[in-house]
Amino acid sequence: MALHPLGRPANDQLETPAMIDPKGSVSLHATIRRVPGRRRVVFSMIAALSFALSFATWPCPAAGADPPGETPSALKKLSLEELFTLEITSVAKKSEPISQSAAAIRVVTQDDLRRMGALSIPEALRFIPGVEVARVDARQYAITARGFNGTIANKLLVLIDGRSVYTPLFSGVFWDAQDVFLDDVEQIEVIRGPGGTVWGTNAVNGVINVISKPASSTQGLLLTGGGGNVERGFGGIRYGGRLGPKGHFRVYGKYLNRGPSLRPDGDEAGDDFEVPQGGFRADWAPSETDAFTLQGDMYAGTGERPSSDDDEFSGGNVLARWTRGFSAASDIQISAYYDRTKRTIPNQFEERLDTYDVGLRHRVAFGSRHDVVWGIGYRQYFDDIRNSMMIAFFPEELLRREYSGFVQDEIALVPERVRWTIGAKLEHNDYTGVEYQPSTRLAWTPTTKHTIWAAASRAVRTPSRIDRDLHSPASGPFLLAGGPNFESEVLHAIELGLKSQSSERLTTSISTYYNIYDDLRSFETGAFPFLLANGLEGDSYGAEVSANYQARSWWRLNSGYTIQRLELEVEPGSSDTSQVKQEGDSPRHQWYLRSSMSLPHAFTVDIGVRAVGELPNQRVPAYAAWDGRLGWQASDAMELAVVGRDLFDRQHPEFGAPSSRREIGRSVYGKVTCRF
Amino acid sequence: MPILTRSVVHPSRRFWGRLVLASVLTAIVLSPATAGSESARAGRTHEYDLKAVFLFQFAHFVTWPARSFRDETTPITIGVLGEDPFGAALDEVVAGESVGTRRLDVRRYQLAEQVGACHILFISASEADHLPAVLAGLRGRNVLTVGDTKDFATRGGIVGFGVDRNRVKLRVNLAAADSAQLTISSKLLRQAEVVRKGAKR
Repeated sequence: MALHPLGRPANDQLETPAMIDPKGSVSLHATIRRVPGRRRVVFSMIAALSFALSFATWPCPAAGADPPGETPSALKKLSLEELFTLEITSVAKKSEPISQSAAAIRVVTQDDLRRMGALSIPEALRFIPGVEVARVDARQYAITARGFNGTIANKLLVLIDGRSVYTPLFSGVFWDAQDVFLDDVEQIEVIRGPGGTVWGTNAVNGVINVISKPASSTQGLLLTGGGGNVERGFGGIRYGGRLGPKGHFRVYGKYLNRGPSLRPDGDEAGDDFEVPQGGFRADWAPSETDAFTLQGDMYAGTGERPSSDDDEFSGGNVLARWTRGFSAASDIQISAYYDRTKRTIPNQFEERLDTYDVGLRHRVAFGSRHDVVWGIGYRQYFDDIRNSMMIAFFPEELLRREYSGFVQDEIALVPERVRWTIGAKLEHNDYTGVEYQPSTRLAWTPTTKHTIWAAASRAVRTPSRIDRDLHSPASGPFLLAGGPNFESEVLHAIELGLKSQSSERLTTSISTYYNIYDDLRSFETGAFPFLLANGLEGDSYGAEVSANYQARSWWRLNSGYTIQRLELEVEPGSSDTSQVKQEGDSPRHQWYLRSSMSLPHAFTVDIGVRAVGELPNQRVPAYAAWDGRLGWQASDAMELAVVGRDLFDRQHPEFGAPSSRREIGRSVYGKVTCRF
Repeated sequence: MPILTRSVVHPSRRFWGRLVLASVLTAIVLSPATAGSESARAGRTHEYDLKAVFLFQFAHFVTWPARSFRDETTPITIGVLGEDPFGAALDEVVAGESVGTRRLDVRRYQLAEQVGACHILFISASEADHLPAVLAGLRGRNVLTVGDTKDFATRGGIVGFGVDRNRVKLRVNLAAADSAQLTISSKLLRQAEVVRKGAKR
């Protein structure tokens, strides 16, 4: 029953009893038993207080609109003195500085992406406190935030330009199929902690938003390519041009061919992988206030397998978005997308998934103190699975619908000093009905250099197909008969953080959390057939510390440390003995240091080291990995770079049980990027 | 195979549910009464239309050393580094314009390293995180750096846009202008606040 969507044994999930580590940790859990009722009372009190306060601050609306402004051509006829007397309005959404936001947010900029030498989204997430990135083999990654890692990790929501890329098959991400033209990425936002109030179900432990640049910022021709021992060959071409006086477009194509991972004995594992991908984006701004975007991608990848036909995955998506800005504090956005993805694992599993999504989001200010965002959404999945002898989903074809609505109000309790955010999302799904995900956040900025924030949230992970419909074998009598009564997993989280800019050179951030999980997935093996149920509970706590130090104008240092602890226990009546071991799937400690130097003659040197603690449940030892990059901007148009990964280590494992895991070997590649 | 027995609706869940319902209803009831005030588009001059015009004006009020141009007809280049907030406004303002014998030209850069021959460089808010590195890379070059991020001029930029009571204000760091060997006309300086403090670079 070792089902795995990618066809490898699922050591990290759904373990069979025989594979369990004999050193159980049940005794440890008996001592931390809690009364479930009490914490809910605490949360209810926080909620009641929050809502009572929010009504007390409700304002009287301000009214009045101004006469229309002048066009840019008319403006330039005015004298300098006159320009200073004009009143302005801004439709650009005022962006809140990350340093003052009431959440554990980290932004990976385009500059970071380039200087890390990242070739894929997972590699770009390596140097973020609180985030675990473990390479499983040539194309799979196990990625999560704040614990519960696995190749089918299910507590992290990932969005690419607002398009959800997690699969309702297991509420996780097929990382091999998620790629973007990295040079066209504006930034990657990583939010640790629950984000269900705005982002919806699955944003339990974190949210990752990959945001691409508008087409106007990617004009001209870009050619990039390179290769090395592991990243055997990669290349991309992008061209951006104008669409009339008010529009821009770009098209791209890219290709990646990655060599195999290694077996523990050093032999190649035969899991080479290649994926070509192409796409486009068009932006059109017919007026100052309106912006339309149409974008899409297509890909078709193959992953070799040593003893059978290749795995194949392919898909495409198209997304349309209309934004109208009314003022700096008010805008509306309507978006819709269609996504198809298909995956074939020979003799095991075949899935075709069609996703339709439409959403509306409106931001409006009430008075000077309330900044309200609300939205509604509808999503429909049509999932068609071809079962095999040993693994089956019943029903094979399934249509799922989700309706959602949310409202969030950011209240300036004391202007520029105390901001308080409160909101909730209601979401209806076919499995469990209505789910609610409220949160409240408070940020206090006593001086512009310090922000202290606190948050309390509830988030849920709704059932995915693997939780409800998974059967083995494909016809009765079943050994595993799904999870007919599987309900949502629930998180109640409390967070506390401090961000400070101690000087012009040094910024630091500390984020702490205490998470209480209820109704986590358990594997009930007390009687035949085995079932999936909600028989686990637990809690986790941890801290993430990071610092950014501009040592010299040409030298930046960046460091982060993460400590976390997850403790799980079986609820009364559960016979789970395997899933409870997940607490050992994440490292207790992680640390990294990055150095970025800009040297004379347009050379840049980047060095990164990260140390990752052991994964006790998988007996993956602790490791340290050194990465380096030497870049040279040879001319305005051309950049050359040499990148090395895991430089001082022939090979090491990052994830997986010893019997079946793959290891990651040292890799070096060169890269050329030209822009015209 | 009943594995877990769970109460149908937990009392606190009911409480939460009602609370959320009450707040959503309140929001719905209140929004039509108040939303009208914001839905009318505020019609004042758009911030970045005006800032685009300022960039254009700077070309008239700043003098560059002769060696920053190849010859008499080399255009004055206005660059935008990072995410472009101007949309089409900057191109529209500059189209067909010239200062003396020099045309005006707009270029956009994604990376600081790409900034080549450029005379006025608007450094977008998207570059705020590594502003010190960007400015350091421009040191010794005759580039008028312009930005609207917080403390742009006191952090070493030359001209910082600010907003005060909905009007654009300029802050000029003269030390930074001097080290870039730029002369800013007194006509422009009269309208600006001259800042010196913290002008390290």
